[in-house]
Amino acid sequence: MHSTWRYKGASTEAKDAVPETIEIQLKKGVLALCVLALLSHADSYAYEIASRLTKDIDMGEGTIYPLMRRMQSDGLVETYLVESQSGPPRKYYRLTATGRQSLEQQKAEWTAFSTAVNDIVGASA
Amino acid sequence: MTRAEFITRLRRGLAGLPVTTIADIVADHEAHFADGQAAGRTEAEVAAALGDPDRLAREMRAEAGLKSWEEKKTPSNAMGAIIALIGLGALDVMFLLPLLMGVLGALFGFLVAVVTMFVAGGFVFAAGPLTAPPGGPITAFLAGLGLMGLATCFGALLTLVTIGVFNAVVWYARLHYRLLKPAIEQA
Repeated sequence: MHSTWRYKGASTEAKDAVPETIEIQLKKGVLALCVLALLSHADSYAYEIASRLTKDIDMGEGTIYPLMRRMQSDGLVETYLVESQSGPPRKYYRLTATGRQSLEQQKAEWTAFSTAVNDIVGASA
Repeated sequence: MTRAEFITRLRRGLAGLPVTTIADIVADHEAHFADGQAAGRTEAEVAAALGDPDRLAREMRAEAGLKSWEEKKTPSNAMGAIIALIGLGALDVMFLLPLLMGVLGALFGFLVAVVTMFVAGGFVFAAGPLTAPPGGPITAFLAGLGLMGLATCFGALLTLVTIGVFNAVVWYARLHYRLLKPAIEQA
């Protein structure tokens, strides 16, 4: 699962060839899906999600907060507080039933899309 | 940029949102700085990784504006959503504004027509029977009533169309906001 999202290495080589905006659009499009997928494995907090996404798909960390707020107001995730030894309680996110449903649907769409693209790109290589 | 500077700019950018929302967003970012420092990063590093606080604030304001329009379809919410989106630059203002102005102008024209029709109906209804009209007072009375009813009906249709137009604008803007605008600040 982990390796599915790791394309940072490949993208650095391709950076000069692919216009940056397309790369950003691609990432932006799958970002919500990535967050849903991460949360389906385990509840998490924003910093953890952000560092994971930054590491694996080379995203600005700041994008996580607008995204989490949007997903929360769309009812895909909900929050709860966990006491921590150091500092204030930490805000954790977990998937709602709607979130799970959305994940399944987006996952299916992503799989179909990426398979189609891979077939075409692979065939022409 | 230091943590304090980042938070100040974020807070300033969020002005106008409900106090609790601002506190919530600020707390999220404060926690991010705290976590970053716990992981051994400097304030400047965390701030750079988070991106431009003004831009982040604009994005969150726009989302809040859209949300309140979706929840409550009042004219002020519609205006708020549009202003927030223009602030974000998500609307292609140059392209959309003339079109939107045309549509809004037409809607306004219809509104004036509907109000006029209603007033005219009221006039016929109230004054018609007293002026010995053709067909007798009852006809004028009923005709006035009919006109007012018709005006109310058109008014309702107009409201539906207006809501539809705003929804279309919101949909269009969202499309841009989510997919086309490269909103991601590269760290």
